[in-house]
Amino acid sequence: MKTKFLYSLLVFIPILIVQITLITFITWNSIAPNFILILLVFYTIKNNQLFGTVLGFTYGLLLDLFTGGLLGSAMLSFTVSGFLAGYFSNENKRHIYFKPLNFSLIVLLCAIISSIMFSFFSTIDFSRNIFTSIFEDGLLPGFYTAIVALILIYFYPRRKLIES
Amino acid sequence: MLKHFSNFWNKFKEYIVLVILVLISLFTLSNNNSNSIKNVKTIAFSSFAFISNIISNITTSTIVKNENVQLRKMNAELMLQINLLRQYGIENQELKKLLSLKDTTSLPLIPASIVSKSFNTTTNTFTLNSGSNEGVKPGMPVINDFGFIGIVQNVSDNYSIIRTLKNVDLHVTVKDERSRVNAILKWDGNNLILTNIPFTSDIKIGDRIVVSELSTIVPISLPIGYIKSVEYSTTDIFNKVILEPFADLTTIENVFIIKMLQSTEIKNLELNFYKKGS
Repeated sequence: MKTKFLYSLLVFIPILIVQITLITFITWNSIAPNFILILLVFYTIKNNQLFGTVLGFTYGLLLDLFTGGLLGSAMLSFTVSGFLAGYFSNENKRHIYFKPLNFSLIVLLCAIISSIMFSFFSTIDFSRNIFTSIFEDGLLPGFYTAIVALILIYFYPRRKLIES
Repeated sequence: MLKHFSNFWNKFKEYIVLVILVLISLFTLSNNNSNSIKNVKTIAFSSFAFISNIISNITTSTIVKNENVQLRKMNAELMLQINLLRQYGIENQELKKLLSLKDTTSLPLIPASIVSKSFNTTTNTFTLNSGSNEGVKPGMPVINDFGFIGIVQNVSDNYSIIRTLKNVDLHVTVKDERSRVNAILKWDGNNLILTNIPFTSDIKIGDRIVVSELSTIVPISLPIGYIKSVEYSTTDIFNKVILEPFADLTTIENVFIIKMLQSTEIKNLELNFYKKGS
């Protein structure tokens, strides 16, 4: 388990670099996909709920530290997302959850929750309409992340997923 | 007892871990302004900024080539404008001397490139590759050729983080260049809005908005943007004025940090005044 955790942290570094530096090329109207969340959901389904919760917390902590954002906001949203994704880590149904459409729907659910929580805790101005905030900060980035997850899991080798 | 605890742990370990981690996150969130957390953040972001700087240099090299051609053309056009402005400048200097005004136009600028951008829609920040070694200090204003971009928030030896205009934590006192009406500029997560503008104020769509002399964080007048729309409220005594910034924060790559801070003499004088008042 420790090796798996360390391996998932090693994979996190290049993904974080992509998330911070190269994301500008696929950002549309300030809406960007969350590659780190896709990685978190992937490893959580591959392992278990406890693994996902702790991994989400660690990913969030590193993201907050390296981007200079509000420390704790990504920690909280990723912890909850990892916990949520953990409900889909059933060993007997894993092959079903790794099907492209199912996987992207799980990512969509986690991304929406994560984005809403993140924006809620990092916004001080509460004068905005709550439904507008949910739509712009939660649904739009969530859908974009889900579409990217669908493409990535579609091209991910099936044999590797079954072996795991 | 131990067995009972072990059974409880095995049954609810996921929930126990979740609660503990959520509590740690909330505790960290509430202690963001403590000095120890600020120091940890500064060390972490400056070490990571070094890596992202290398990568952004590689990715931007192709963009820079295309940009060079356009910049050369712009350079020629600007050269013609500079000639004209130089004449105006000389005239201006002479007139200022006559009026015994202090010269406030020579501002020292620190050039910097954007190493990484956070695309968070509410608390947007940029990491720059200039830090305290170049003389950057928290509170210094950041501009580009279009106008005001943001304020330096955090500084390490070689890097700095700036709060941009699209950050809910940045509030700036601004004024309408035409009518001289003052207002507070802030980002509401969706638009740049001017607050505290009564119905009766002379505000028109297209008016240029600049930083007001009353601003405590930016002590000089810098262009910010123009008024895009005015929403008249039927219930409130203030209008909601939406501003379009001159600088495009999504495509911006190079900026300048103005090497100046608010006068400590003015700050101290105002603090003493308020202390006496209270």
